[in-house]
Amino acid sequence: MSRSGVGLSAECVPLFEQLKSRKLKYIIYRLSDDKKTIIKEKTSEDDDLHTNALPKEEEAYEKFLAALPELDCRYAIYDFEFDVGEGKRSKICFFTWSPDDAPVKAKMIYSSSKDGLRRALAGVHTEIQGTDFSEVAYETVLEKASRGR
Amino acid sequence: MSGGMQTLPPTQAPSSVEYGGDEISALVLDPGCAWTRAGFAGEDTPKCVIPSSYGAIGGKEDSKPELVFGDNGINAIRPGMEIKNPMSDGIVADWDVAPQLWRHALTSRLASNLSEHPLLMTEPAWNPPKNREKTMEIAFEDFDVPAFYLAKSAVCASFASGKATCLLIDIGASNVSVTPIHDGFVLRKGVTRTPLGGDFLSNQIRTYLASINVPISAHYQILSKTAVDVGKPAEAVLRQFAPGQEPTASYKTYQEERVLTQFKECAAQVWNGPGPLPPATTPGAADQSFNFGGGRTFEFPDGYNLVFGSERFRITEGIFTPRNMLTHPDIPHPDPETTMGIGSIMASALKDVDIELKGQILNNVLVTGGASLLMGLTDRVNSELGVAFPGPRLRITATGNPVERKYAGWLGGSILASLGSFHQLWVSRKEYDEHGPGIVEKRCK
Ligand SMILES: Nc1ncnc2c1ncn2[C@@H]1O[C@H](COP(=O)(O)OP(=O)(O)O)[C@@H](O)[C@H]1O
Ligand SMILES: [Mg+2]
Repeated sequence: MSRSGVGLSAECVPLFEQLKSRKLKYIIYRLSDDKKTIIKEKTSEDDDLHTNALPKEEEAYEKFLAALPELDCRYAIYDFEFDVGEGKRSKICFFTWSPDDAPVKAKMIYSSSKDGLRRALAGVHTEIQGTDFSEVAYETVLEKASRGR
Repeated sequence: MSGGMQTLPPTQAPSSVEYGGDEISALVLDPGCAWTRAGFAGEDTPKCVIPSSYGAIGGKEDSKPELVFGDNGINAIRPGMEIKNPMSDGIVADWDVAPQLWRHALTSRLASNLSEHPLLMTEPAWNPPKNREKTMEIAFEDFDVPAFYLAKSAVCASFASGKATCLLIDIGASNVSVTPIHDGFVLRKGVTRTPLGGDFLSNQIRTYLASINVPISAHYQILSKTAVDVGKPAEAVLRQFAPGQEPTASYKTYQEERVLTQFKECAAQVWNGPGPLPPATTPGAADQSFNFGGGRTFEFPDGYNLVFGSERFRITEGIFTPRNMLTHPDIPHPDPETTMGIGSIMASALKDVDIELKGQILNNVLVTGGASLLMGLTDRVNSELGVAFPGPRLRITATGNPVERKYAGWLGGSILASLGSFHQLWVSRKEYDEHGPGIVEKRCK
């Protein structure tokens, strides 16, 4: 159970496994309407990223960012691919999206429920707490993800 | 609960009565050294904020003194009333009085019957286990609450700012504390504090005023005043007291404290760094050691007023550079040589944190507490952190809203206790009866 008592819906972990086996590029999770469980909001499948020729990383990432609300919080997983001169690598990033202008109640419930989701997902490389779009910009995340452990 | 959590059954079956939602509103109590904050869960601000100081009248060998709580009571002029405080260093020091103070905060304006409302209380991260058990015991045995939870005030404040991971710097009355938090849990080894909070600052101001022979007048002493020029003697009509009717020395000190808080609000300022405030040039001559951007006038309750220049910064510098604190033989102060400044406690709080997490934490530094409202304080914290941790990207958040700064811990507790999901976390009366106060360690992590 998380710090807030919020639990996970049955789909949370299997979706993450799909992402780990590279069937999904990203997953966005949100709180259910009754605020008692974490559920899926959207995945990269909804963007048709996999039916067309594989889009450029930046493009996929832009679609992902566009799905983050300006005034509400979310959790997200993104399979970040990059090549900084050592061949193609990929790192799984966990995002806690909590914009400064989101209502305090939303910030509160997302921050206090995070540990439940985070602990259930094994294999995350980089964690990002984003409070504005500059903190989740492609370059910022690239810099963090490409920095080895 | 399902998904990844399915394999982890809740430690206790949820109690049969649902305390979440709107059915019964829980009460939230955030006991500080300066202020005791109480209100209903789900509200933005605590409805009842009373001084943690209280008045004690009479009380000889065989009779207990009459205790007076709340602003009106303790600010009233009453001969023989001593002003005391049951808290010390953020934790309860007087277990006889603290519960009475809490009861007053909870019942004077909020709830008539405490047995009808679950109660969430906040506590500092350094609260010892004995105190935690005692607090739970008071809640169930004295207040007779149906359910209780004890939450770390730093964690509540962190959540209220939308952070699961952060470094929380709280500058309250009795101390400055630094609490590293990871995914909603306090990293206990990193919790560090230093006695350089608002009370220290008050004594620094007292020390400075003593050095220039300026007495502090308090509002209760003044019947009327006339405007006078800067630095000219006050022309005020003072309240006269018949012999034996004068307020006590502790009352006077408490009343002066209110004036000193005004001084902190409008005159004190923090040097923005980098590095310590340069020492004063020639003693006696005008201080030109740094650019302090002109002076500020402060008027005391008796009308005496003075322009304060570089001293506005000298009185706050001790928080960052204890070696340079002002001292006076009659005014208490911590040891300038061994006391750690804010920069050192921040560094010490993070010294055992692994590098990856350290980066995340430094990217999420939160500043709260009443005394953090000092002008220029967050800039200086930023500069000190930059010196202690030259590598990683720093990001400091401090709400510009003074109310949120003072009530961050309460607000976090308020929302937490109002969440529909939180009913599973309450420790119920039944569980308390079964397991005793030791259950606090298991359930309120
Ligand atoms: N604007 C301000 N600037 C500086 N100090 C302030 C300001 N407002 C309040 N304070 C000081 O903050 C302290 C109280 O802080 P608070 O966080 O409410 O305390 P606590 O949690 O310990 O009860 C007091 O010492 C008070 O003088
Ligand atoms: Mg406090």
